[in-house]
Amino acid sequence: MMENLKAITKDELLNEGEKLLTGGAKFITAVCRDLGEQLEVTYFFSLKGGTEMYPLRYTVNKEEEVPSFSQITLATVLIENEMKEMFGLKVKDLALDFGGHLLLAQDSPVTPLLKTTGKTASKGGD
Amino acid sequence: MAARTTVPFGPQHPVLPEPIQLKITYEDEKVVEVVPAIGYGHRGIEKACELNEYTKNIYLCERICGICSYIHSVSVVEVTEKLWPVELPPRVKYLRTIWAEMSRTHSHLLWLGLLADAFGFESMFLQFWRIRERVLDLLEMTTGQRVIQSVNVVGGVRRDISPEQKKTCIETLNTVRKESEALIKVLTKDYTVKSRTIGKGVLTKEQALQLGCAGPTLRGSGVREDARLTKYDAYGELNYEPVVEEAGDSYARALVRARELFQAIDLQLEALAKLPEGEIAVRVRGNPPANEDVMRTEAPRGELFYYAKGNGTRNLERLKVRTPTFANIPSLLVMLPGCELADVPVIVLSIDPCISCTER
Amino acid sequence: MPWMLPTILKNFFGGPATRLYPAEVREPFEHARGQVSFNEDKCTLCGTCVRRCPAEALSQDKEKNELVFYPARCIICEVCADICPRKAIDLIYKWRLPFYTKPVEVYKPRGKESGKAEKEAAATREPALNN
Ligand code: SF4
Ligand code: SF4
Repeated sequence: MMENLKAITKDELLNEGEKLLTGGAKFITAVCRDLGEQLEVTYFFSLKGGTEMYPLRYTVNKEEEVPSFSQITLATVLIENEMKEMFGLKVKDLALDFGGHLLLAQDSPVTPLLKTTGKTASKGGD
Repeated sequence: MAARTTVPFGPQHPVLPEPIQLKITYEDEKVVEVVPAIGYGHRGIEKACELNEYTKNIYLCERICGICSYIHSVSVVEVTEKLWPVELPPRVKYLRTIWAEMSRTHSHLLWLGLLADAFGFESMFLQFWRIRERVLDLLEMTTGQRVIQSVNVVGGVRRDISPEQKKTCIETLNTVRKESEALIKVLTKDYTVKSRTIGKGVLTKEQALQLGCAGPTLRGSGVREDARLTKYDAYGELNYEPVVEEAGDSYARALVRARELFQAIDLQLEALAKLPEGEIAVRVRGNPPANEDVMRTEAPRGELFYYAKGNGTRNLERLKVRTPTFANIPSLLVMLPGCELADVPVIVLSIDPCISCTER
Repeated sequence: MPWMLPTILKNFFGGPATRLYPAEVREPFEHARGQVSFNEDKCTLCGTCVRRCPAEALSQDKEKNELVFYPARCIICEVCADICPRKAIDLIYKWRLPFYTKPVEVYKPRGKESGKAEKEAAATREPALNN
């Protein structure tokens, strides 16, 4: 169970996040999850020396564009790039755009973490 | 107007054991801009964890990082246990704490050696690694392996520390402390070390919080934040207070790690003395239920974050890993501009980068 | 430099920190994990280890009565030894030598023939852990 989980819409993200940051919170990370038709994005913030955690969660359709938190702090730039290439989440206005090649290479699979890509585990090398 | 040159730092560089590239733009000798490029070591472990059974994830997640492998296995096991949730016997909590602190000891000794190597003090590098060997021997004696311990399972641990082993542990840890004290004195007092680290790569308290740094990078800038304060495992019952330094430069980060090294030894001795009797594993039935949870643990390099969601089958729906270096890379973008070309290796090393862990 | 002096002197007059490795080997620790060894007489080809091995280093062929082991995939995690109901697998402290071609080891389990002993062992076996 996660305490303090707060459901927001994608447009509230920047305001809510900034409020937490000015209150002395620290950004931990963001987690994206594939719900089939939609994507669920959760931003985690920690407060009070790491003993309290505030997650903010929004759900969007796969085609929708979402704002980037990296406009406010550079801390999120890597994870937003990662969500963009792993899930195809359409993050706009990234402070530093790696163009889908942060972790993946030119000939890698596209959006590998979606449930529809790569259903079976391959056997280890022998 | 001085001429600008862009020089790639890495992916292969003597101070970097692992591949990361920093495209650094210099104006004469001064750094003006840094763009990191990662992705040389991506292995797709998060996807593999969704396709594997949850019991097999432990052995895969341990291999995310070679140095903090133990803390990775603790995190993945405990985040899975939180889905039920499983009530752990007290002895398991203490054993996990002891091994986690043991791996912190060897990781910090490794880093202190690498730091000495980065500014060319190679004899000190070898001395630190010589001490580290004793800690690895302790790990091999108690868990069966030196580096990848494979000792955690969902619901407990697979090895126990016997009374004779406990005695050897205490003796060896005291030797390790005595030997490290002599070397740390060199690190904190030597003129060469000071002139290479003091005032290099300054990160203020506000910047560190804003950039979401973790671990010694954050505590070296005067922020009292540590995942061990959440009192997971046995930390709530031990005498523990985070190490904080105010200066925010490379020297402060080195001091944080040096002091944490002794603190880790103290914590191990305390936990060994308090080690309660009892079971070392409880039986867990069924598959992980469809709950979600997070686990935050303190790896040697900083806070490790695991998110898991079950779906009632043997496989997890989603497992997300955020490693400490992933959080610390943005701080390089702030620390490097303005420094000299020759200081880049020391500053990069001062965040203790672990790249294969970052990319999973 | 003055701070390093005690260490330098100690190293100068003390013995070497290393061993003359192949000639002088340290006593292995009890229960340290080296490599997997099978006991064909005990194994009944039940397949538990094949299902549980995290590295898929084992496979079985019921028709030919064969248990196949791929040592290059094995990560020496001891899961198979822990869960084998007949205790047919053991981890011995002896490193496998480096190889040029990846070996494949085929075992012919004979445990089924001693059916009675099997039942007795199954009745007294300890419950395996949750790995
Ligand atoms: S080695 Fe043990 S677990 Fe594996 S098939 Fe034989 S009896 Fe079963
Ligand atoms: S030791 Fe581990 S990897 Fe090797 S065969 Fe046994 S279960 Fe598989």
